[in-house]
Amino acid sequence: MTAEPVVTAAPGQEETDGLVVWLQTTDHKRIGILTLGAAFVLFLFDGMLGLTMRAQLARPGQHILSAQQYNQVFTIHGTGMIGLAITPFALGLGVYLIPLQVGAPRIAAPRVTLLGYWCYVLGAVTLVWAFLTPGGAAAGWWGYTPLSSSIYSPGPGMSLWVAGVFLAASGMILQGATVLWTILRMRAPGVTMLRIPVFAWTMVVTCLMTLASFPSLLTAMGVITAARIDPGLLASNAWNLAYENLFWFYGHPVVYVMFFPFVGCVAEVLAVFSGRRFFNYTGTAFSLLAFAALSMAVWGHHLFISGQQVNDYFSLTSILLTIPAGMEYFGLLGTIAGGRLRYPTAMLFALAFIPQFLIGGLTGIMLGTPSVDYAVNNSYFVVAHFHYTLFAGSVFGFFAGVYFWWPKATGFLLDERAGRLHFVLMVIGANVTYLPMFGLGIKGMPRWVVTYPAGAGFSALSLISSIGAGVIGLAMMAFLYNIYISARQKKPATADPWGGHSLEWLTSSPPPRFNYDAQFPIPRIRSFTPALDLRERQRERQRVTPSQRAGRPVTDTVTTDTRAYRDEG
Amino acid sequence: MPFRHVYSGIFLLESVIAGVVFGLVLAAMAAVMLVSWRKRRRGAPAARREHLRLLEAAFGLALAVMAAFLVVVSFSANGQDFPRQDPKPTMRVQVTAFQWCWRFRYVGQPVTVTGSCADGDYPVLVLPAGRPVEIDLTSVDVVHAFWVPYLDYKMDAFPGHVDRFIVTLPRDGRWIGRCAQLCGLYHYEMDFYLQVVPQAQFGRWLHARAGTAAVSGR
Repeated sequence: MTAEPVVTAAPGQEETDGLVVWLQTTDHKRIGILTLGAAFVLFLFDGMLGLTMRAQLARPGQHILSAQQYNQVFTIHGTGMIGLAITPFALGLGVYLIPLQVGAPRIAAPRVTLLGYWCYVLGAVTLVWAFLTPGGAAAGWWGYTPLSSSIYSPGPGMSLWVAGVFLAASGMILQGATVLWTILRMRAPGVTMLRIPVFAWTMVVTCLMTLASFPSLLTAMGVITAARIDPGLLASNAWNLAYENLFWFYGHPVVYVMFFPFVGCVAEVLAVFSGRRFFNYTGTAFSLLAFAALSMAVWGHHLFISGQQVNDYFSLTSILLTIPAGMEYFGLLGTIAGGRLRYPTAMLFALAFIPQFLIGGLTGIMLGTPSVDYAVNNSYFVVAHFHYTLFAGSVFGFFAGVYFWWPKATGFLLDERAGRLHFVLMVIGANVTYLPMFGLGIKGMPRWVVTYPAGAGFSALSLISSIGAGVIGLAMMAFLYNIYISARQKKPATADPWGGHSLEWLTSSPPPRFNYDAQFPIPRIRSFTPALDLRERQRERQRVTPSQRAGRPVTDTVTTDTRAYRDEG
Repeated sequence: MPFRHVYSGIFLLESVIAGVVFGLVLAAMAAVMLVSWRKRRRGAPAARREHLRLLEAAFGLALAVMAAFLVVVSFSANGQDFPRQDPKPTMRVQVTAFQWCWRFRYVGQPVTVTGSCADGDYPVLVLPAGRPVEIDLTSVDVVHAFWVPYLDYKMDAFPGHVDRFIVTLPRDGRWIGRCAQLCGLYHYEMDFYLQVVPQAQFGRWLHARAGTAAVSGR
């Protein structure tokens, strides 16, 4: 039977291995793995910078890092996490999964996708280089002018930062464009737009937002470049205000670029491990589109405290986001409601995503109200808010996706026991780190402070937060340990270890060079869950005419393969 | 100064709404897991409904009503923060931010207060209680922000631009103020104090300070 474990790569792949071959590959699966791998390394690097900051802030009045070093560290932590880690996670997942999910043999314009990867890597190298120069880049991830001009940030570090951000963003634009092109123009016969998986829908809106908003960041980098050549420009308020608007025209949509693909991961995982089709598929698809459209009109809520923004308009658009966001939550909760839940690690991460992201989302609505924003903006309240969205939300969704698709990409399963340890440490770490920050913000602790005096009232909560950060560090070690032992055990994955719904579960793990072939053909597509349809048809056939069990052999993977990891339901 | 009053009300309201929503979602998840557990014990299959059109529409409508309510709350709070008719200020203070401290100039008086913000040398912004004061906020170098956590209000200070707002401080007291916009190396030390004193005392302070005006400031 074809669903036997397929551990080795498809024919034709082994002999072409080697670093140089990988780095010039046109296989979207390899470009995706390269992107995700580089992003994960940078995620760990930027995470260690975060731990360094928490070490400094654990106690009042500490100067483990000098003021200049501390400013460099949070600048690279923020720029790196957003531009070099989470955004590439988002688009890298799309590069890997989208051709598989829409039944395409390859990604559109694979060399452009590869060029995007190269721009991103060059950008990453440039940013790390900026970090290593004396003085470094220390103007925060916003790079507000005039602080980022050559008067207030002299030296090569800031210039390299501008170049690095520009390159990395260009790379993401290229990858986003080819992913979108693949979804729109390269779907297999029968895969209509309303038959692509929910993850693919989240990638549609992610790529649309990338294409619409990232060019604004490139323009903003142009403004800094001009200001580094002629700092006199910035004597005019208009340039500084223009920079802030250009930056946030990118800076807000990018928040959703770093969010939606992970909602897509969570949606797929919840549906599969609830044993039912995603609930309210069409409503979710349209609410995603509405969300993306609206996301282009909310940037001004970052500028309430500039005193030079239209408060009511941006408050209106920001609060209206609750409607599509609520519809998406409705889809997630509706999917698990009435399901028969199984709880492998991927499902645990997906379930934890729901309440944890909600904390970030609900506090985000509060920040969309100017009267609240005036009080808590640029305080640790905001730091808590966006770490709940990005870490307790997006990164949890990302790990749900990693545990879910890892066997597809590698051909072997991740260890479930180490996975559970990883999950538990992540939940403890995330909440112990970020929950106290809401309190710090309300108590008046500003962002970007190198240290704080003992009498300021921030000591206890800061210490708790720092301990939590240490637990996050342990969680990441648990994950690395998991990869290590899983790679040693090499517990083989079948084509479909989970009882998946979407097309990619019908091809081998890992998939052949062109995704589907004579051995793993694309079936007739009638819905957004072709793999589940096929299993159900098979079951139906077996029930009606057991003697005619011929035809394409498909096992009921829900019952056979769940033995592989221990079903707890 | 309406900010503090408006904020505390709206923050409480929105926190309660957020808490209720969060609690409902948690309760729903717990219920789902319980139902799933019983289903598995009975050997019942997962539900197959992919849509419940009426529920979807009702939920969408509920969200729209909720959003509309929050928008109205936000607009009305913003309207209270910035009333169409500000009270007429009885005095003006020019607040100038610079790397890395503050300068407070009392317009029409020969008084300027400043400091270095280093080694405890924090400038004190002295204001009279109960009188509307106009703050003219600007910066001479990079973007800073004037933040008094007690007032629950902050405002950016841009170079080449003056932001004006009016504060009326109801009672005496002394509170810390901070810079709330990343402004470079010593951002974290860029604090000041806001001290509010009775009007008579303020007059005496201004008078005494005027005598030393020539040596104050940098």
